[in-house]
Amino acid sequence: MSRINILNLYKTMLKESKKIPSYNFRKYALRRVHDGFKENKGLRDPDIISEKITECQRNLEIIKRQAIIGHLYNAEKLVIEH
Amino acid sequence: MAGLAKNVRMLTRYYSSTSAIMTRPVVKTISSYNCSRRGSPVKNALPLVSSQRLVTPHERSYSSKPPLTLKLIKERVILVLNLYDKINPEKLSLDSHFINDLGLDSLDHVEVIMAIEDEFGFEIPDADAEKLLRPQDIVRYVGDKEDIYE
Repeated sequence: MSRINILNLYKTMLKESKKIPSYNFRKYALRRVHDGFKENKGLRDPDIISEKITECQRNLEIIKRQAIIGHLYNAEKLVIEH
Repeated sequence: MAGLAKNVRMLTRYYSSTSAIMTRPVVKTISSYNCSRRGSPVKNALPLVSSQRLVTPHERSYSSKPPLTLKLIKERVILVLNLYDKINPEKLSLDSHFINDLGLDSLDHVEVIMAIEDEFGFEIPDADAEKLLRPQDIVRYVGDKEDIYE
C-alpha cells in the first residue's frame, strides 16, 4: 500500500461521504474521515498502517451503504442547507 | 452444408428461447408495477419499458458555460484557494508551492484538488493531481483541459 493508494483512499472516502444526503451524517463523515487521517498521518510501522487501512476500507463500505440507505429514506433538507 | 445450416438454426432457436426467458420477468415485473400503480391495462407495459426513467437526470442548464479565459481561470483558482481555511490568503500567490510555501500536507493537497474539481466540474486523475503543486500549474492544467491558450 503506497502513498498514492492511501491518498486515493482518502479522496474516495471524502467523495463517498459527500453523497450522504442527511446533513448531520454527511458532515460527521467528512469530519471523521478528515480527522482520522490527520491523526494517523505520522504512523511509520507497516503493520499498524495496514491494520488501519483495512479499518478504512471497512468504513468506506459503511459510508457507501449509508449513502444508499439515506437516499432510500430521503428527508427534507434542513433549514441551514437552503 | 445441410448439417451446418441445421446447427445454425438450432443455435438461433436456443438464443431466442434464452432471450425470451431473460426478457419475460422484466416485462412482468414492470407490468405488475404499472397495474398496481395506476390500474392501467397490461397492454401498456411495453411502451413503458422504453420511456421509463430508471435514473433521475441531473440538473441541466440549457445555456452555455461562460467563456473561460486564462485570466478568469486564474481568478477562480485563487478564489477557491482563498476560501480554503488552511491557506493563508496573504501568503498566497500564483507561484507559491502548496507544501513548501503554504505549509499544507499531502492530505490537504488532496482536498485542494477536490475543491478545484468541484469548481471546474471535471475529475482530475491522481497521476495528474500530484504534479499540480502550485496555483500556476492548476491554471495551466485547467486551461489545457478546456482548450484555452494565450
